[in-house]
Amino acid sequence: MDANEIEEEEFGFSRNYFLAKEVGSSRKKSARKLSEIDLVDEEELREVATNIEPKHEKEVNDLINRYKSLYSEWLFVLRCGFALLMYGFGSKKALIEDFATRSLTEYSVVVVNGYLQSINLKQVVITLAELLWDQLKLRQKTTSRNLSKSQQPFNPRSMDELLAFLDKPDLEDECFVCIVVHNIDGPGLRDSDSQHCLASIAACSHVRMVASIDHVNAPLLWDKKMVHTQFNWYWSHVPTFAPYKVEAMFFPFILAHGGTAQSVKTASIVLQSLTPNAQNVFKVLAEHQLAHSDEEGMPINNLYTTCRERFLVSSQVTLNSHLTEFKDHELIKTKRNSDGQDCLYIPLTNEALQKLIAEII
Amino acid sequence: MDSPNTDPLTDPFAENNLQPYFVLHKSSKSSESTAKSPGKSRKRRLDSSPKVSSTNENTSDDLKMEAFHCVWSKIESKIKDALTSINADVFDEIGQWVSESFDEICSCRGPVDPSTSSLPYPFVNNGGIVKKLFTGLVFTKNIETVDDILTFADLGLNLKSSGYHVANISSLDFSTKNGIGGCLRGLLRQLLMVDVEAAEMSLLASWYNDRGKYDNPVIVIIEDLERCSGTLLSDFINMLSEWAVKIPIILIAGVATSVDAPRNLLSSRALQHLSTSIFTLKSPAERMDAIIEAVLVKDCAGFSVGHKVATLLRNYFLKQEGTVTSFVRALKMAIVQQLSIEPLSFMLKFSVDDGDNKRSCSEELAKLPEALVKHAFDLPSYRTFSVQRNKYVEPNVMTLAHGLSELQRVQKVWRSLLMCLHEAGRYHRVALMDLYWEALDPGLYNSRSSDNNLESAKGMSLLSNNHHHFRQQKADFTNQVIRKMRDLPAAKLSQLLKSWERLTDGTTEVHEKINELQFQMVSEDGKSRRAELTDISKRHINRRSLNACTSSEKAMTLATNLIRENMQPIECVPFHELVCFRDVDKLQSALVGDPRRRVQIDLLDFHKILKCGCCSKSVGTLVPSMHDTSIMYTLAQEHGDLINLHDWFQSFKAIISRSGKKGLKQLASPKKRKDSSSSQNNSDALSQARFCRAVMELQITGLLRMPSKRRPDYVQRVAFGV
Repeated sequence: MDANEIEEEEFGFSRNYFLAKEVGSSRKKSARKLSEIDLVDEEELREVATNIEPKHEKEVNDLINRYKSLYSEWLFVLRCGFALLMYGFGSKKALIEDFATRSLTEYSVVVVNGYLQSINLKQVVITLAELLWDQLKLRQKTTSRNLSKSQQPFNPRSMDELLAFLDKPDLEDECFVCIVVHNIDGPGLRDSDSQHCLASIAACSHVRMVASIDHVNAPLLWDKKMVHTQFNWYWSHVPTFAPYKVEAMFFPFILAHGGTAQSVKTASIVLQSLTPNAQNVFKVLAEHQLAHSDEEGMPINNLYTTCRERFLVSSQVTLNSHLTEFKDHELIKTKRNSDGQDCLYIPLTNEALQKLIAEII
Repeated sequence: MDSPNTDPLTDPFAENNLQPYFVLHKSSKSSESTAKSPGKSRKRRLDSSPKVSSTNENTSDDLKMEAFHCVWSKIESKIKDALTSINADVFDEIGQWVSESFDEICSCRGPVDPSTSSLPYPFVNNGGIVKKLFTGLVFTKNIETVDDILTFADLGLNLKSSGYHVANISSLDFSTKNGIGGCLRGLLRQLLMVDVEAAEMSLLASWYNDRGKYDNPVIVIIEDLERCSGTLLSDFINMLSEWAVKIPIILIAGVATSVDAPRNLLSSRALQHLSTSIFTLKSPAERMDAIIEAVLVKDCAGFSVGHKVATLLRNYFLKQEGTVTSFVRALKMAIVQQLSIEPLSFMLKFSVDDGDNKRSCSEELAKLPEALVKHAFDLPSYRTFSVQRNKYVEPNVMTLAHGLSELQRVQKVWRSLLMCLHEAGRYHRVALMDLYWEALDPGLYNSRSSDNNLESAKGMSLLSNNHHHFRQQKADFTNQVIRKMRDLPAAKLSQLLKSWERLTDGTTEVHEKINELQFQMVSEDGKSRRAELTDISKRHINRRSLNACTSSEKAMTLATNLIRENMQPIECVPFHELVCFRDVDKLQSALVGDPRRRVQIDLLDFHKILKCGCCSKSVGTLVPSMHDTSIMYTLAQEHGDLINLHDWFQSFKAIISRSGKKGLKQLASPKKRKDSSSSQNNSDALSQARFCRAVMELQITGLLRMPSKRRPDYVQRVAFGV
């Protein structure tokens, strides 16, 4: 937290510089508190948020339909070896998938949802390699040319080997697979390793990439080598003004910030992305909480013993790593009980908890 | 599988939206084989809507694609040749140095004993030189390493062709995360062609000794020295030097900054081992000139760009990117766009095919559908041309073919004259890129020719006036080249004219004029020489220099006239749209996206994009019909760097509740509306939900920083000013 504050102080200076340059804006200084607003319950807020009536629905649809005339140009650009990068305000997920479904029918398409928290790029590359292999086999049948007959499964291969296969120079130029990356600047892909990996995927001669960015600073993720020689972006400004429904799934509601009620749905999504063991550890805690709803929570030692008995964890370290994950997603909290022990509890009502358990089974 | 009534695009919790990745569809050619691939991949239902492409479009797409491959492969190979030839001298020098260094290593290491080959020790005789590592520092004159990746790859190939064992390593292999094992692994992977987990130098040593590789050294090329981690590189050098007896290794490192770079980076122990030599590559500007000459000035693929596009490319290179790679990329993009804008531009491919292209071109033209021929005659360049000439020509294939050959002829003259200028500019290091850029300017050409009419009417001295006009017209580079011709000594001038004669070969009218001038000079020279023979006095020497002066003046006049009369930029010639790319905005927007500005403009001027009737009317004021996030972002502009959430919410709420409760209709059923408190509550919830969603969307675009623990009631603005 301290580092954050120092950083903020430093930002202050540069911000003030730009603010001083900004003319004609009457600055409002106010110290009103958020708590002065009569906040609605988060559950209700989420409920209402899913039913917000869209504005300009017709115009938005017209706009998206107008982009359809660009499909053939986009396809041509892809075939010429560029990668498409879509940007502009609004969710571009539907637009890109529509383009892929209509225009990229000749090529296999893999879609990566970059807005999700964790993405295993190696699995993606394996899938791409398999699809390319299928495509080649099929061409081989028609052209009756022989590739090497014995094909090992791609799973045990290393990343370099897979990329080398996707970049094989002696194949036809026009044979490629497409990878669509929604939110290539998304939280799960924002680190430099993932970006380098994506860049080397995009650089393969038998892969074409279509990606979208939403963050205004996304280009800072790439250096010149990546931009010019690997990604080879062809920028396309396509604002859609479509709501960011899927992309915003994991964002907290600002007016419910700090509220204790965690929605069942978000919790279940987070849990489903974890390993079965981690889910079971959570279940142990949940069952304890349901059975002893009057207590402060479950002491960590008790949790460890129970989990060990059920062969869910082998050491305190493993358990701690699970717990850290839970804490990061605000699935559990700690409280000290009357004996001075640290107890874990799930910040959900019993009813919500039961629903959650039912969902993750 | 999706259940039939959930649309994956509207339901955020649809399965495909929660998968980290999935297979959207397989290649339609392989759709018969519906075997599911292992892993989590799932096949999605395809839209049953008809495909966009029709057969007609397909054939035109194929034509475009074919033309693109023709044109681009030609251009690509030209670029490659140009870069190879520009690097050839340095590469030869490096090759020479490598073989000398290797001889030196061999002379002091003595005979090799294969039995102890996998150990670094013991040293053989002459221990002093043995631990030396011959290192070539290659100065790239360029802080951007992008261009040099290719150069070093070429260097590697060049050295490989001499039989050396070469490995290219980049700074990525020298990351502290992987440690010394990382770079060693990279080395082994390239030399031994195997991927080993536990990389060791002894593996390399035994490989080297195994198959009688004694005759050639191992060369390790590090592309970007400055980007490597200093400690790792020092360790690497220490390690290599320890093995220097068993494996003669020669290091080549690209240096972007200065001679001091290794000293700043490496430990003193590692520095001790280095025995450095220095090589210098050509600068990016020189390479750029070579590429422009090969691709755009000499007739390469018939493709050309307009003046505005050239301006963009030039500025992009000089002021923004500074790399040849980005320029080549921009050029490729221009070709792609030209082919997709202009239906007839597929004819570019005929100018690529050598040999019997004439025949195939006219054959191909004859096959053109009526509509396309008509399209060619509707081009603005042809219309202005026919209006100026006031002559009606039958719009048929023959006229088109004639127009195209005329275009080629004019271009040929233009190209050779530009090369002449470049040749003259060489003495004063004027960049070809600048001359090229000026020569493309149709404005300059038009003003020159209209001046000409004026001048001949007044009967004024051509030369002095032209100087004046050139200055006015800002033809700085062309002007400079011509002016400086005056200073050329006679020998160089005649050399220049000879090269002009060579360059203009094939363009009759220009060639003749140059020949004429040459003839005049030769005869004058002869006269003066005869005079010199008879009378060796000071006066005659003076006269001779006077003569030289007048002949350079003549050359200047000739150059000025030729430029004015014959150097017609492509944009002044009818039908140029077919081969000349001019849409500068399109190129720029595809080349460099500007999300930071564009996303803000999207939000602030959204009605211009959506073209809705309701919001465009009220420019400057916020109306409830506007997009929520737009309202919010416009409101945010009124705040300083911190936005008070409470105030922001209140002003947002005030605006959206200004007229009616449009958003509420859907939620509040008629029964509930009677209950005013419930309705009030609902409206609160709705406005709060809308507020939250807008904040979320701004957070996704990165235009906001979320509240910190220290300031829970404020968000921060990130972008100031569009």
